[in-house]
Amino acid sequence: MTIERPFKDYYDFEHFRQVLMRETTEGPVPIIELFADPEIMCETAGVEFPAERVMELINLGLEPTMEQLELGVRLMDLSVAFSVAVGYDYAITIPIVPVPRTDYLLRENPRQDGKMRGWQDEHQGLIMNRDDFERFAWPPLETVNIVPVEYTASKLPEGMKVMAFINGIFEELKRLMGIEQMAIKSIEEPELCGDILERLTVLAEEAVDKSAAHPDVVAIFYGEDMGFNTSLMLSPAWMREWVVPRLKRIADACHRHGKPFLLHSCGQIDALMEDLIEVVGIDARHSFQDNIEPVEEVYGKYGDRISILGGLDVDLLARGTQQEVADRTRRILEVCAPGGGFCMGSGNSVTNFVRIENYYAMLDETRKWNEEHS
Amino acid sequence: MKGDGMEGVEPLKQMIKEGKADEAGDRIRELLDGGASPEALMKEAMIPAMEEVGDFFQQGKYFLPEMLMAARAMQRGMEVLKPALVSSGAAFPGKVVLGTVRGDIHDIGKNLVGMTLEGAGFEVVDLGTDVSPERFVEAVREHSPQVLGISALLTTTMLAMKDTIDILREAGLRDTVKVMVGGAAVRPEFATEIGADFYGPDSTSARDFARDVVTG
Repeated sequence: MTIERPFKDYYDFEHFRQVLMRETTEGPVPIIELFADPEIMCETAGVEFPAERVMELINLGLEPTMEQLELGVRLMDLSVAFSVAVGYDYAITIPIVPVPRTDYLLRENPRQDGKMRGWQDEHQGLIMNRDDFERFAWPPLETVNIVPVEYTASKLPEGMKVMAFINGIFEELKRLMGIEQMAIKSIEEPELCGDILERLTVLAEEAVDKSAAHPDVVAIFYGEDMGFNTSLMLSPAWMREWVVPRLKRIADACHRHGKPFLLHSCGQIDALMEDLIEVVGIDARHSFQDNIEPVEEVYGKYGDRISILGGLDVDLLARGTQQEVADRTRRILEVCAPGGGFCMGSGNSVTNFVRIENYYAMLDETRKWNEEHS
Repeated sequence: MKGDGMEGVEPLKQMIKEGKADEAGDRIRELLDGGASPEALMKEAMIPAMEEVGDFFQQGKYFLPEMLMAARAMQRGMEVLKPALVSSGAAFPGKVVLGTVRGDIHDIGKNLVGMTLEGAGFEVVDLGTDVSPERFVEAVREHSPQVLGISALLTTTMLAMKDTIDILREAGLRDTVKVMVGGAAVRPEFATEIGADFYGPDSTSARDFARDVVTG
């Protein structure tokens, strides 16, 4: 089901940037997504791509094959085609930070006609102890590069810019150690976690600095899942000591180029929000689930200080009706749109188990809202 | 309680709460050698310690690391205590079968539930991850638990919870077991919609539900 009625057929990155930075309450509410699964992008844009290869491309090391590189180019083309088809003001791409990663564990979901989903191993990773850390093949700083940004920028239509996604240092720490080992070592050997985080921070700073310096990058989208449904994964005290100061360095690398720093974090992160806003200096927050805290409530708490991005619960997009989605979209817009600093989108990402007609219903209701309020 | 070998029980509780696994195991061995009853150790040390750990988590004092460390200490203690409990003929208050649904391999939350239930004295049968509805049903038939706990992380995988409940019903086993569900995307309305008996947002509430089931 390709999209028949795009959200809009022009691209306005400057208005999008102004909304992100809360510099305007005028004009249309933009739309935003962190990611859409390749199946959604393909169907929307009418482009073919082997969705089962995406996990492999995300985990490319320092020596990809020519075939993998060609596939990576096709994926970037798909991202642009998707953004063009829908009417986003940006196309998202991922700079290269070639930290070795464990392979994702792939499992079939019979409920999705056997579609594969990649899972992170929770129990172990590549760095389980100090010896592993000392032996780990950290990539040289010069291997961090923004070739994907440069390529994507070369393919954009007038008015569209690039959004560079950076995987967060806490996220990578969990990936490198396995979340279980990371949790235990955070108490038994916090200095080990700190040393890993420091290595990751230097690499992330480089990626952010290079990306934000590029004239065609409109913002940095930084992904860092810090919470569960009910609380942070680790204590606020631990996060303040070991993570927050490093997040500030990474955000500074973005801000020195005058670009917005958008934080994606799943979970209940209220205990850290003041640090994220006042110390780190995030400009926006993304990722909301109704059973954690509806986006309208978050907007009420923080919308006068940071912009709020997305919020239509993925569960509703997956299992609701088009009318339910349209109604919920409108309710969110009624609360979050008038004050500015809000972009409409899903609560996390447009996954391959979202009903595509529901995704289109969310876009359409937002388009209608904008027409009514123009 | 002088003379019953229970003098060291407070330090044992502290070891469990602080996640000192080796010390907890050694202390239980010492206490058993000193004449402490396995059931008394369970009732006066293990269960209260894990109760407090669960309460701390709900109160926002403990987070994932503290929970995992305490659970690990409890498990180490149980490795020593369980054989003694069995030899003494002590009965478990109940049995719980746990698993993560088919197509899903997220299990940290499920494991915490299992460890919390063990710490509360339950016998736990953990089927692991990627468990088919048929295997859940087979486990209910085999183990006759009072409670079946099903975990899923995503909206798409949690749909398999309904499949499991439906097959339980078809097998004539639905009325023999209470079903509790949990996971990041799960919410109370979904639990009601699929015919589950309980939605647990965390391991403490899962433990409390299981306790309510076995005490009636």
